[in-house]
Amino acid sequence: MSTCKTAIRISAKAPRITILPLIQRRHESSARRHKKLLHLPQAPSYAPDRSAPSLIFNPPSSSPNVYHTPLKFLPKDDKRRTLYQTALNLSTHAALRRSTSAIATSGTPLTTSSHLPPRPSATLPPPVRAPYEKKYHLADKEIEEIRRLRLSDPDKWTRARLAEKFGCSQFFVGLVVKSHEKAERVEAEHERMRTRWGARRRAAREDRSRRKEMWGRDE
Amino acid sequence: MKRIRIARCGTQLLAPPSPRRPLCPHVVRFQKTITLHNYRIQSRLQSTAAAREASNFEIESIVEEVESSANDFPSSTWTSPRHTPLELLPSPHPSAALKSAKLAALRSRLSLPPRFPLQTLARTLIHPSADPDPTFNNGSLSILGANLLGYYTTEHILCNYPRLPMSVVFAAQWAYIGPKALATVASEWGIEAAAEPGGEIDPGLLQFKRLRSGDDLPTLLKGKQAPWKWNVTMTNKILKSDEFGSTASRPDAQQLQGMPVPIEEAAQSFVRALIGSLYLHLGRPLTKRFFRDHFLSRHLDMDKLFDFRTPTRDLSRLCAREGFEAPVARLISETGRHSNHPVFIVGVYSGKDKLGEGAGSSLNEARIRAAAAALKAWYLYKPLEVTVPSSTEGEVDTSKWKPNMVDCGEVIV
Repeated sequence: MSTCKTAIRISAKAPRITILPLIQRRHESSARRHKKLLHLPQAPSYAPDRSAPSLIFNPPSSSPNVYHTPLKFLPKDDKRRTLYQTALNLSTHAALRRSTSAIATSGTPLTTSSHLPPRPSATLPPPVRAPYEKKYHLADKEIEEIRRLRLSDPDKWTRARLAEKFGCSQFFVGLVVKSHEKAERVEAEHERMRTRWGARRRAAREDRSRRKEMWGRDE
Repeated sequence: MKRIRIARCGTQLLAPPSPRRPLCPHVVRFQKTITLHNYRIQSRLQSTAAAREASNFEIESIVEEVESSANDFPSSTWTSPRHTPLELLPSPHPSAALKSAKLAALRSRLSLPPRFPLQTLARTLIHPSADPDPTFNNGSLSILGANLLGYYTTEHILCNYPRLPMSVVFAAQWAYIGPKALATVASEWGIEAAAEPGGEIDPGLLQFKRLRSGDDLPTLLKGKQAPWKWNVTMTNKILKSDEFGSTASRPDAQQLQGMPVPIEEAAQSFVRALIGSLYLHLGRPLTKRFFRDHFLSRHLDMDKLFDFRTPTRDLSRLCAREGFEAPVARLISETGRHSNHPVFIVGVYSGKDKLGEGAGSSLNEARIRAAAAALKAWYLYKPLEVTVPSSTEGEVDTSKWKPNMVDCGEVIV
């Protein structure tokens, strides 16, 4: 962005060096910031390259429709598989033919991508949680060991500690062995803590669990 | 094959079959005084009002019995229905249907052809609670209509959405042709209810015995609920219960005789009976068109019927079952991570394909919503070309038939 660099900063505190009369100068102030700099060129998708009337399809970004079955979920013999492929090829060809080089395009930053749809082979966004492979490395002997440790001293050998020791998930430890006595104790402790909640905290927690149920209903 | 005459079907529907013409001259005289048309009126008189020694005269009695009783039964004692006080009839006389402006208006409002008799339309409005006589109330017609509605709706849902889980199919059935939907349809058609059934009121009103406000529902309508401890499985619902998968079965129409019912019960029995009588009088194509115009045209958001408890787990089971790569949640975009109202957009990817996308105010919420969206995208698959089985009924040419997709079933974790 081009900006008007001022030669001299006028400041009341600064000592006057010259004896020249005080001239008011116009800085990068309201008119330029609010009008000229914000006067952006039209988005390329809104500026057709032909004078003939054409259809402009530029929908607002919104969540994708669940009725559009992804390509992977289509059965083998569905016609949409070939249709999707043809549409992708056509749009790629058309975009490549019509696209000007990003530098030659007026008003677009250099990073603007062309009209190309995102290719499936493009780099994927980063995963939310680190992906892991299931190892299936625990045999019967280790599973027996997990059981023995957990039941011998459930306070020392918690699910987290066992999962750490055997390199599996806490969920798997829970599948292998359940310590009912400890579960009841912990539940009683939680219940005791819950009785000490005030009205606001209780309402907030209940609302949170209710909101969580809405995730699966997509509300 | 002989063609069935629809007009004849209509008359059979209106009245019990008339006895064969007797050969005895006395009976001929008897037949002259009581015309065939009035025959059922007399039987009605005897069953409801007239308590005479001849009141055990049955419609279904064979001709010989009629002959024997005709001798000692003077024909002058028969009263013409014109002199019968209308108040004694439990429901309006069928002949009154021709004079009712409400019925004619209803018929044209529903765009039914004039060959659909007004008498039948009047009969569909009579609930068994108003008139216990099965030849005058809509009990039989509503059984036929309920089966037709269930058939057409089920095939529509199953053929268009072959992968739907069974619980969603039940919910969709309930939404299309459930009791509440039918009562709504009836009220949208402008059906008004009579305050009290009777022979003297307009046949264009819905006739039923009203449940007084504040009274408890009859036990028949409440249905039997399974004890809460019982685990009523989906298999049991599919095999044993009705099209809605409800544990309470619909009561038999004739069991509701004389029992006060709520207006929803009467309205839904009217809609079912109308479908049944349309099928009998107008035939299958017109009934299907009527069903399409009035029931399938109602918009139902199928994607709102889902309720996933563990969508991420279901999705990974689904991908394992179908042989796809394990699903991975990826952060597509985010804003305001450290603010009060962050928004994360997470997509679920299997390999390089995006299966679903969800937005949420926490990473977990967005991830779970994305998994739910991916599961919906799987379940709501819709084939491009669908031929419902009933469209090929009665056709010799089977070249138009395309076999429908049958899925292997929902994901079971």
